[in-house]
Amino acid sequence: MQQTTLEADIVVIGGGSAGSTAAIAAQQALPRGRVILMEKAHIKRSGAIAIGMDGLNNAIVPGHATPEQYVKEITMANDGIVNQRAILEYANNSFAMLEELDSWGVKFQKTLTGDFDVKKVHHKGSYVLPMPEGYDLKKILTRTLKRAGARVLNRVMATRLLLDNGRIAGVLGFDTRDGDYVVIRAKAVILCCGASGRLGLPASGYLYGTYENPANAGDGYSLAYHAGAELTGIECFQINPLIKDYNGPACAYVTGPLGGHTVNARGHRFIDSDYWSGHMMLEFYRELHSENGPVYLKLNHLAPETITEIERVLHRTERPSRGRFHQGRKTAYESDLVEMHISEIGLCSGHSGSGVWVNERGETTVPGLYAAGDMACVPHNYLLGALTYGKICARHALEHIKDVGDAADVEDQIAAEQKRLEAPLARPNGIPHHQFEYKVRRLVNDYLQPPKTENKMRVGLDHFMRAEEELAEVGAKNPHELMRVMESHFIRDCAEMAARASMHRKESRWGLYHYRLDYPEMNDERWFVHVNLKKSEDGAMQMLERPIEPYIVPLDQDELRGYHGLRITREAAALSA
Amino acid sequence: MSEIADRETVKAAQATRVGNAQTLRRYDVPVIVDQTRCITGCRICIDSCPVDCLSVNPETTKAHMEFDECWYCLACEIDCPKDAITVKIPFLLR
Repeated sequence: MQQTTLEADIVVIGGGSAGSTAAIAAQQALPRGRVILMEKAHIKRSGAIAIGMDGLNNAIVPGHATPEQYVKEITMANDGIVNQRAILEYANNSFAMLEELDSWGVKFQKTLTGDFDVKKVHHKGSYVLPMPEGYDLKKILTRTLKRAGARVLNRVMATRLLLDNGRIAGVLGFDTRDGDYVVIRAKAVILCCGASGRLGLPASGYLYGTYENPANAGDGYSLAYHAGAELTGIECFQINPLIKDYNGPACAYVTGPLGGHTVNARGHRFIDSDYWSGHMMLEFYRELHSENGPVYLKLNHLAPETITEIERVLHRTERPSRGRFHQGRKTAYESDLVEMHISEIGLCSGHSGSGVWVNERGETTVPGLYAAGDMACVPHNYLLGALTYGKICARHALEHIKDVGDAADVEDQIAAEQKRLEAPLARPNGIPHHQFEYKVRRLVNDYLQPPKTENKMRVGLDHFMRAEEELAEVGAKNPHELMRVMESHFIRDCAEMAARASMHRKESRWGLYHYRLDYPEMNDERWFVHVNLKKSEDGAMQMLERPIEPYIVPLDQDELRGYHGLRITREAAALSA
Repeated sequence: MSEIADRETVKAAQATRVGNAQTLRRYDVPVIVDQTRCITGCRICIDSCPVDCLSVNPETTKAHMEFDECWYCLACEIDCPKDAITVKIPFLLR
């Protein structure tokens, strides 16, 4: 294998939503070619919004919501375990990002008077802005990125960050088509690698039938971890309500404002708010496992024109193959209920709160390393959070590189990583990657899927530690398979993190996301802290706790539990019937 | 049974050492390429795939699904300038 060595000021790893705005913002401030974007897929169709997105879930539009209201809502939705500064920084910068998207040609739904047509889906406030024509969002980002002039390396996978005395010195990866090594020496790295979406195994058993884009295998979580960065809230899993088997969103944010909602097998509503939160998922889980299950999306009471409108959005954007899935099952929105299920577990701060620890400047605990998007812990940050934080990271990375000199020799690290990458290719008849991955992810389902217990997770952890040894048997016949093998390393790392973090927090919190049968109550007295983890000096995974910083936007005790009790009471149901 | 004394002890030890064997398996895959419409030399769908599961089949010089890793996202189908691709829902989910 050949090696290409490049130099850059800033490297962005991952060219999805966050990575696009990070590279655009950084390149606009630097000479041409000093920003390199490394993308495992091809930027025209990569990341969570490869096929676009049907709306913004967390738009803070003046006149509809204030940044303070938003901070309050997200603090509530996360049972208080948040860094409010990071959320407020998003809230204060997001509308400017939205207006910039508007200027790039992204089409948002507007009212007849030209205002942004904001909808209410959250439990308290109104933050959802539909993008019925959001299918071309990725094209627009790619076009803007090319105009800015950042250098893009497509089909290059990052596998290790390079360090110089604890600070970032670059990244090493390989071309997943020809296998050549790519080393980039850089003063700052912005990780934008998306969620850990290939952690649990979908109920279908199909490895790539995930909710998240399967390219998002937890690369960023593992890269940050091995560079010594802290991760936080890993026990706050991502679990979503999805169309059963298809495993795509139903999607409450599109259908909700038009009258669609979740019902049980009796056709009754049972949750107050379809906004995705741990407490909503807990009620969903309980209904699913009660005599009232399964759970369905109900649209068949809507007018034909409304259903046509829903289909026009759902069958063109985000997961457009929904339509042919329903057709194959002979179900139709106008006549049938759509069966729903809960997804496999994942790690994703875009939806819940599990990610790399970052502050309001997007800085991780490693100097020169930044993180944005689904992998960086700014809870419920979604698409607009990724786009906004990409820019925030770029701004602060640009400041950082001003004071950084040239890195010391990193040849030892390069040699060690190349050796690690050569090993699977040296055993082409080793265990195939898909068998290894299937086994780890099946064990994740068996032992980590809530409800969680210490005993179960301990057994699971033993399996994940054994899996680390088994990785030495996994082989690759070509660079494509090597990509999958290295993703298997990331997946196993994430499984170990998920087990250890969940075992550490001995209480229940965030509804289903961290529902423990052995500690069923939320315990603020002991556990009103961030649970963080990092790689210790001796290479073992180390658990830490960090206090919750004093709130900037105060909430009283009742407000803090504002997302509890989302179940519709019997009395209320009787009244509405 | 052959004449290995203490057969299970011997075989159990061997089983940890003998290495791995492979088999050839047949899969039904989701991405169907119309060979008559697909343009030789065009790599648009191959670039579009977020999981890189498509490639040029050296025998036919047309695009085909090389790896059974489809996310049924339709990027290849939408981006194909000749409408040569049809993506089916993977059998396990159908």
